[in-house]
Amino acid sequence: MRYYETIYIVNPNLENDVLDKTMAEIAKELERTKSKLINHRVWGKKRLAYPIEKQKYGSFILMQFEGGDQSKMVDFDTWMKLNNSVLRHMIVGLDNKPDVYVEESKKEPEADKDKTPGETESEAKDGKIENNDLSTKDAIESEPEDEEKDNTASETVEKEAE
Amino acid sequence: MAFQNRNKFCYFKENGIHDIDYKDVKLLRRFVNDQGKIMPRRITGTSAKMHRKLVRAIKRARSIALMPYVERGTE
Repeated sequence: MRYYETIYIVNPNLENDVLDKTMAEIAKELERTKSKLINHRVWGKKRLAYPIEKQKYGSFILMQFEGGDQSKMVDFDTWMKLNNSVLRHMIVGLDNKPDVYVEESKKEPEADKDKTPGETESEAKDGKIENNDLSTKDAIESEPEDEEKDNTASETVEKEAE
Repeated sequence: MAFQNRNKFCYFKENGIHDIDYKDVKLLRRFVNDQGKIMPRRITGTSAKMHRKLVRAIKRARSIALMPYVERGTE
């Protein structure tokens, strides 16, 4: 069975319970395609490279699952498109089975131990390990990166305004 | 510019990267110019195989607003 990843953007100003509700709603809709949900997590609030529906920021939510009924995936795609709380979404096929995501706070103390045996493991697993590294890197480096983006993006916005 | 006056080599082959994730914007940013255009292979030295994957990743990142389609460059 193929594995898929859906990334979607919701309004960043939503309150936590509303966000949870939206995520639950989307997970419920996905269930109709008989897909098995593997990960469903908030990736973080990010500055959008271009405004979508007049929003400059967006909360990115990542959802990974094992594909179910192919014909119903089209319905899910349409449903996501029509869902007003979702600014933008994208469904992408994955090459490998995604790892179950462990929260950063729990993972960090073990991360150093994990890395050393990870490097000696076979090449087949390299991709997954890289992905893990990336996700932790993102979390650590997200702040300065955001600042840079803010500068460049705000410049462009100003220029466009002129 | 980052790619001038250097021996060409494929960044991905040197670093043992086989799959490019569209979510890794920091990496993808190296391969677009300040206008947000994808840089040609003859400049970056990326291998043909990895360039195809790179292009796909950048285009995906654009469609989900992680990267800009167009950006005003610094002149």
